Amino acid sequence: MVERTSNQSLWTWIFQRISGLFLAFFLVTHLNVHHLFHDFNATGIINFDSVRENLSSSGLWKIYYFLFVPFIVFHALNGLWGIIADYRMPGNLSIIIKIIFWIIAAILIITAFFTLKNLF
Amino acid sequence: MNNNKLQETIRDANLNKNIGNFSYWLHRLTGIGLAIYLLMHTFVLSSAISGEKAFNTRMGSVQNPFFAFLEIFLIAGVFIHMLNGLRITLADFFGWTRFHKSIFWIITIIFLALMVVTIMLLWPKFNPVNYGMGG
Repeated sequence: MVERTSNQSLWTWIFQRISGLFLAFFLVTHLNVHHLFHDFNATGIINFDSVRENLSSSGLWKIYYFLFVPFIVFHALNGLWGIIADYRMPGNLSIIIKIIFWIIAAILIITAFFTLKNLF
Repeated sequence: MNNNKLQETIRDANLNKNIGNFSYWLHRLTGIGLAIYLLMHTFVLSSAISGEKAFNTRMGSVQNPFFAFLEIFLIAGVFIHMLNGLRITLADFFGWTRFHKSIFWIITIIFLALMVVTIMLLWPKFNPVNYGMGG
């Protein structure tokens, strides 16, 4: 029997790998700057001013977050979607979950945009 | 949800106690954990939208020795997911499937080394005195 299939899951699979490779770089940079090499003894806890100072240190941070946020949101939600797809939800339920995931993705990206706008 | 499939996966984990199955579960669980963390992280930082004062209050409430301790698990999760993800990518894209067990032991050593460095770097954050508490 010939089934009509789409290549969508192939592309999301490849993009999950590619975004993963990007995140290996982005997330290590992020951890180094804000979690590990944040000079706690000298500057104390992270606050509004310290974050602003950090982000204004280079114009590249804008490009960095412009890529980082969509990549991590895609990777996280597509990863969760992959787990759900593994357990074969009934058709209606999987459509509802898909819509919820798109809404969460939109909320995350919009929230991140306005958060960063105030911090830059 | 198709429970049979879930039961099958769990039964499979019990029957095949091997590296591949172990890292499959590790990848899945760290992935779910990190996705949940991403939501919480965005929520905490979104206080910046309300301004400097709200941001400092909320950021202050998540920076203490207890959260610094939890941060170890967060960073461990990131490193596990990252290193295992690279292992999967090597197997998938470069056909290194035959070496996947050796790569597992290599990334385990890298992971342990990274965690030692992480705990050393986070060390001052575990001390309440450094937050102006107690001391």
